[in-house]
Amino acid sequence: MISRLMVQRFVIFITVLFSLILAVMPMTITLAAWRPEWPLIAMIYWIIALPHRVNIISAFLVGLAVDILLGSTLGFHAAAYAVVCYPAARHYPRIRNFSLSQQALLVALLVLLARGMVFMLEHYLNNAPFMLHYFWPALSSAIFWPWIFLIFRKIRRRFQMK
Amino acid sequence: MSTPLFVRSVSLKVRLTLALSLAFLLIFLDHRLGAMQPMRMFLNSLVSPVQYLAVMPEQALDNFISQVQSRRALIRENDLLKEEMLSLQGKMQRYEFLMLENERLRTLLASDAREDRLRMVAEVIAVDSDPFSHQVVVNKGTRHGVFIGQPVIDAQGVIGQVASVGVTTARVILISDQSHAIPTRAAESGIRVIAQGVGDTSILELMHVPHSTELQEGDLLLTSGLGGVFPEGYPVARIQTIVRDESLPFARVRAVPVANLDRIRMLLLLWDADSDHQPIRPEQEADET
Repeated sequence: MISRLMVQRFVIFITVLFSLILAVMPMTITLAAWRPEWPLIAMIYWIIALPHRVNIISAFLVGLAVDILLGSTLGFHAAAYAVVCYPAARHYPRIRNFSLSQQALLVALLVLLARGMVFMLEHYLNNAPFMLHYFWPALSSAIFWPWIFLIFRKIRRRFQMK
Repeated sequence: MSTPLFVRSVSLKVRLTLALSLAFLLIFLDHRLGAMQPMRMFLNSLVSPVQYLAVMPEQALDNFISQVQSRRALIRENDLLKEEMLSLQGKMQRYEFLMLENERLRTLLASDAREDRLRMVAEVIAVDSDPFSHQVVVNKGTRHGVFIGQPVIDAQGVIGQVASVGVTTARVILISDQSHAIPTRAAESGIRVIAQGVGDTSILELMHVPHSTELQEGDLLLTSGLGGVFPEGYPVARIQTIVRDESLPFARVRAVPVANLDRIRMLLLLWDADSDHQPIRPEQEADET
């Protein structure tokens, strides 16, 4: 029998891989500006649901993958993801008891924080100009959160991941 | 398996500190020292499956559309292409004649004849969703002889240059990226000027242009070939506005890139005919060189 642990790891890996694919999928410019921060949403879900499987180091690694995929300076997204996932990992029992809308609000805040951090790094190290539309995904991520949450919960229950 | 309510094998703060110090070490290595360049090739190859997977739905859709395209639409497109080819062939005859003449004149002047360049078509497989860097990923890599700093153009004009390569992919930095600048020369007046990207795909800014410049709105800028990266004579941008505000040290000149940088699909990689880097064609042998 394949160990449950392996199955769990595999399922988590597949969902995260899928979120990374969505993060780089080509889109028209107007839609792309609203693209939710898929990898971060996936990481936030797994950290809240399975804090003993997925933690800050995994968030760091996913952030690093995002850095490579987007071609930004290595470490920008990695640092931002690690920082943003800290409150989620710290307070996961409380967040689990939030309503979906409260969770969505929290996700918006976390995405905003992550984007703010990446922007700061880009601004001080690479002279990036301020672009308001860089922060729109905080909103779209919050809008998509309830659906992501329900889909992921279904997946988690299907594979009896605890 | 039991799931304890509170699991803390290593404290969260330790993990966060570890992750952050690793991240800042990486940022330092990559940004300050540029030491990650060789590593990037490996990393790019590692994530290239994700990029190939990401374009699969779009490619499948394209395939589907071309399959269901009506016969009439195909015939029309075919006619159009034939017409276009005829006019291009006409131009080509003229070009050959001019090229021979040019060569003759150059031998008269005892200067080097210009070599024709080798080209390879590449397809864009990913566009960065990160608005801070204008880069695209193409489906050619070291396996095809792509090298760092290689000039990239499309049917209209200059696109950018190769910033990093993987085995089957390469990352092209666009001329509109805020960290990119390209030496150009005005086609008519011959004034040399550097066009800097500003992070907007439809704008380039010309640097250090004096107020008394002879540049005019609508002037076409060609690559000057001075930086050693881009070959001479490819169209880069057209001047849109010139603002002569005397309170500023230089005139503010904005130009629009000739190529549509926000919707590139196919592009051309260029090789010098006599350089160390040469294109490698694994499947077909030299079909277009």
